[in-house]
Amino acid sequence: MGTSDLDRQIQLLRNCEIITEAEVKELCNKAREILIEESNVQQVDAPVTICGDIHGQFYDLKELFRVGGECPETNYLFMGDFVDRGFYSVETFLLLLALKVRYPDRITLIRGNHESRQITQVYGFYDECVRKYGSANVWRYCCEIFDYLSLAAIIGDKIFCVHGGLSPAIATVDQIRTIDRKQEVPHTGAMCDLLWSDPDNVDDWGVSPRGAGFLFGDQVVKNFLAVNDLDMIARAHQLVMEGYKLMFDDKIVTVWSAPNYCYRCGNVAAILEFDENLERNFKIFNATPQEARGIPTKKPAPDYFL
Amino acid sequence: MEYAGEDVHIRATNDDAAVSRCSASKAGYFADPFIPLFVKRAERRSPVINRGSYCRFIGIQNVIQQFLRACKQCDLSSQIVVLGSGSDTTYFLLKTDYAPTRFVEIDFPEITSVKCMKLHRNSRLRSLLPEGCQTGRGGAELYSDQYTILAGDLRQFESDIVPRLLETGLRSDVPTLFLSECVLIYLDPQFSDRLIASVSQQWPSAFFVTYEQIQPHDAFGQMMTQNLQSRGLQLHSIATYPDLESQRQRYLSLGWQQANSKSIAQLHRELPVSEIQRINRLEFLDELEEFNLLGDHYCITWSFQSSNSQIINHWRNITPSHIGAS
Repeated sequence: MGTSDLDRQIQLLRNCEIITEAEVKELCNKAREILIEESNVQQVDAPVTICGDIHGQFYDLKELFRVGGECPETNYLFMGDFVDRGFYSVETFLLLLALKVRYPDRITLIRGNHESRQITQVYGFYDECVRKYGSANVWRYCCEIFDYLSLAAIIGDKIFCVHGGLSPAIATVDQIRTIDRKQEVPHTGAMCDLLWSDPDNVDDWGVSPRGAGFLFGDQVVKNFLAVNDLDMIARAHQLVMEGYKLMFDDKIVTVWSAPNYCYRCGNVAAILEFDENLERNFKIFNATPQEARGIPTKKPAPDYFL
Repeated sequence: MEYAGEDVHIRATNDDAAVSRCSASKAGYFADPFIPLFVKRAERRSPVINRGSYCRFIGIQNVIQQFLRACKQCDLSSQIVVLGSGSDTTYFLLKTDYAPTRFVEIDFPEITSVKCMKLHRNSRLRSLLPEGCQTGRGGAELYSDQYTILAGDLRQFESDIVPRLLETGLRSDVPTLFLSECVLIYLDPQFSDRLIASVSQQWPSAFFVTYEQIQPHDAFGQMMTQNLQSRGLQLHSIATYPDLESQRQRYLSLGWQQANSKSIAQLHRELPVSEIQRINRLEFLDELEEFNLLGDHYCITWSFQSSNSQIINHWRNITPSHIGAS
């Protein structure tokens, strides 16, 4: 696959058009070669713009790039949950993956709890692949790639980025480096916790109401930062109506990048820019207007209890 | 008829609600073996919707069960009237448990005709109908000593429906539970308020349960109002009764002795750990924040009145959060 081929595919995907199954297969092969070389905890240089959950809201991802700048001009770190829930998980994930293959040093993708075989079969990505390609092959190729995605990233040695949060089984960043990540997201253990946990006002560790991962408190965050000589944790995973939320004396931030989540929640979205001195700048954006968004006309309106 | 066009969309909410109830039941959240018989095309709903349908179902069923048990403990008969009943299956669910003395459903004739036809065509449902059921009004109504279905418009509750309720055997001197799920909100408050007040006047010993939307003013609520509007649905009374306290005050100001209201999110938070563990095993609920948002925008309001202090003492303890009561 030459660069011109790849550029053509990126162009198609940017227009929310799908590429062929054979092209997906080849793209995934290329992506695997790149991702296999990445560490469980990927080092990322500032300046960088970090993004939270996207969930297949393709037109809102377009808006994100309009607000934050296009890749490769802007260096991006996406903290997982590219797929499920929205109507365009296929186009969203393939565009991000194609950008990764084309500009591997300008975009970093880490794994979210939805990048999983089990979850995508419940929350929509599997069904969407079958609907758009007539078989589950594309879903299968994508799931293989999910297994190669990094679990975390560190910006400028100081900002620890992860989809969910911390794990009682993890005290140091080096322990994350020893995980064999090339597998389906397990139901328990360190890898599961990194993708599922949430910060909360608990003393230490708490039981997560999600049924996976843990709740972790102020002291857990401060200990982790001290032990690993870090300044802050950035994570995604939880819907925040205002787009982002700082907690624990600004030691942890949640970034949410899916505006009007599920076309129902009415929230705004945010991305977070770190400049070369790791100064923070949040950018807030709204959902694209209904007309420009192109919800397939056959698709029913979002569900409520009627 | 300024409502004629809107009524088509209101009637369509019945199918939507039945599909959701069926989806949650099939996923194992609760057992309603009858609901699939009323659903034309079953669909699998997302875990967020399934869990909300579950909270609604158990909340309402808890209240009904406790109401019936209280009547029984006081050696009193009991009646249930479902307003805007649609495909409600409560009559059939209660057949095997504490059945009330009389069960009445009221809905638009377009809805009741379809239901009456299904009851007669499906052998399982037919076998559960009381002996000697009669149909009327071109097949839109069903009459018997225990189970009655009436066709009508709730906007004419006092003038048309109340007289026919009494004619067909509903007694005003027996404790009666009135249930409305996402029904009153589609009526202009002048109609729904009059309905709530006239129940209070006609049935001195009564219990009223309402499940409907609240909180139209925050970001989620605005989007909800807008999304429902694009489906042709106007939430006519949501601005007048926008929160738990105004819901409660509504019934108190319309003649009821006591009233309470609880959001679906609150009800969910009060589920026992064992029950949360059970439903977590059915499906991963990843989107807890989204669920809580949805749940903050729906509530169950219950109010009651009676001069019988014994029954009031029982009714006072009724709550939709009561788990494992049966």
